[in-house]
Amino acid sequence: MLISVVDDDESVRESLPDLLRELGFEAEAFASAEEFLESRALSVTGCLVLDVAMPGMSGIALQRELRNRESEIPIVFITAYSDEATRPTLCLTKPFSDQALLDAVSLALERR
Amino acid sequence: MQSIAIDDLKLAEALLAGERRLLEMVATGEPLADVLHALCNIAEATGSGVHCSILLIDSDAKFHFGAGPSVPPGYAKAVEDVPVMPEVGPCGMAASLKRQVVVDDLVADPRWQPLPWHAAAVKFGLRSACSTPILARSGEVLGTFAMYYEQPGSPSPIDQTIIQQFTHIASIAIERAQREAALKRSEAFLAEAQRLSSTGSFLWRVSTGEMTWSEETYRIFEFEPETRVTLELISSRYHPDDLPLFYEWVGRASREARDLEAEPRLRMGDGSIKYVHTLAHATRNERGELEYIGAVQDVTERRRSEDALNKVRSELAHVARVTTLGALTASIAHEVNQPLSGIVTNASTSLRMLADDPPNIEGARETARRTIRDANRASEVIARLRALFGKKALAMECVDLNEAIREVVALAASEFQRDRVAIRSELATDLPSTQGDRVQLQQVVLNLLRNARDAMADSDAGPRQVVIKTACDDGGVRLTVIDSGVGIDSLDRLFDAFYTTKSNGMGIGLWVSRSIIESHRGRIWAERNDGPGTTFGLWLPRVECSSQS
Repeated sequence: MLISVVDDDESVRESLPDLLRELGFEAEAFASAEEFLESRALSVTGCLVLDVAMPGMSGIALQRELRNRESEIPIVFITAYSDEATRPTLCLTKPFSDQALLDAVSLALERR
Repeated sequence: MQSIAIDDLKLAEALLAGERRLLEMVATGEPLADVLHALCNIAEATGSGVHCSILLIDSDAKFHFGAGPSVPPGYAKAVEDVPVMPEVGPCGMAASLKRQVVVDDLVADPRWQPLPWHAAAVKFGLRSACSTPILARSGEVLGTFAMYYEQPGSPSPIDQTIIQQFTHIASIAIERAQREAALKRSEAFLAEAQRLSSTGSFLWRVSTGEMTWSEETYRIFEFEPETRVTLELISSRYHPDDLPLFYEWVGRASREARDLEAEPRLRMGDGSIKYVHTLAHATRNERGELEYIGAVQDVTERRRSEDALNKVRSELAHVARVTTLGALTASIAHEVNQPLSGIVTNASTSLRMLADDPPNIEGARETARRTIRDANRASEVIARLRALFGKKALAMECVDLNEAIREVVALAASEFQRDRVAIRSELATDLPSTQGDRVQLQQVVLNLLRNARDAMADSDAGPRQVVIKTACDDGGVRLTVIDSGVGIDSLDRLFDAFYTTKSNGMGIGLWVSRSIIESHRGRIWAERNDGPGTTFGLWLPRVECSSQS
């Protein structure tokens, strides 16, 4: 199961894939929504861990784009803005524990 | 007493012609002195040995010489500023008593013998006199009309007719001159009041399009005085955005009598904007035609102060809004949550790597290292916030801006190299020194350089290069930082607190930069480049520094 992490913050791109690998997933990181859309990972990603606010295409815009393409990749949003966590979707507010990430990814995969 | 050289008819004709000429002079507004002089000439021509004079009385009840073409030399000077009293002579008596005074024998009359003018008059050959007050319609004495004769005796009935008619004409001429002077004074007063209050007046006769402007209205609109005013001319001064209102009002005002109050903008020849408060009152003239009488007041200065005040008010409101706890904590939370997230993730990973079988020691070490890095990042955020809200006093010293820049560039070199951004310095060699807090100014320079670098982070257009320039400018020093980055859509809000165009920015840097520069009595600004990117500029006043600082 490949989990793709899309975040413009370099430290997130470094640390999250490592954690996900420790949790038993395959993981790949992308610096922008555009980079992810152009990658081969698009077709094989089982779950997307996606930053909400990014320069260029935001996480929300990527979600919309994926819906337009009728992609059913489940998404776990992550954000450093606490108030965005109130969105009615799977969203983790940074910082989050490894268990919370595991639960969210599992839930996202179940919903698929 | 007077031998009549011409018959009555001829005299009557001559008098009529003379009167007509005098009235014509009055009507055409010739100077009063000329009219009175002509009047005396005509009166003197009615007989031989006749000498006329006209004295005027001012508001201080003193005589002033009006006219007297053939009076004795020194006469004009002698009467000047003499008080109007019966004792001073026949004219003083006539004016005081408001009735004609006849002196039939000037030589023998004991009343005047002791007076200085008497001897001169007798020596000149004058033997009798008749002074008649010139009365205004209100009954007020305007002056005296005197006829002196070279023969003793009283005026004949013909003389009396002449005196009566000529005092009447003199009265008309004097009253008219006085009214004109009063009008001129009042006009000058009004013009001065208009100038002082920047208020002009106008009259618009709708049916003919005729427009009359006061001097000040011309000045406000910056048209040459006397320019023929038309609606087209006025509309050429209107700000394009206010033109529809102008046409609407003109249209409505021509159809129905309606008062107007508006504050349109004018755009002057040099592109500057004026606000003119305009009031117009609809009225009908004697023929029932619709007219507007109005006033225009240049309120630009007032508007400017109001605008400045509003700006300060809204900035205050903005500061109050953003410094409320909610907005502040949201920004701080974002900045702090990023590294905290890294700490938790890395620490979790590290623990899990150690728990692996066999333990992934190298991986755990690497993630532990990242944990430390993220913790440092969090503490940097806190340090920045403390610097921001700590409000340290400025440490003013003499600053060589070029040198300060060189230090910053050296400091930032490695970090910029890593991001493959080159810094090109173009520093003026003759830059004057300025005074300021060196560290704070360097913070501003570093902030501008970092912004420029960030703007080019995603840019693939050409080499990534930041140009930093200094120059002498307008009595101070100017620094510009030019990038060729993505550019900024909205420049106006750039310096607002918590406004950012970066996904991970706090919107603090430029806000703080501006407050630093403004506390140095300088300016900071941003402008779009002709090509890609943005130029940030700042200006600081030049300060002469003593050598010990």
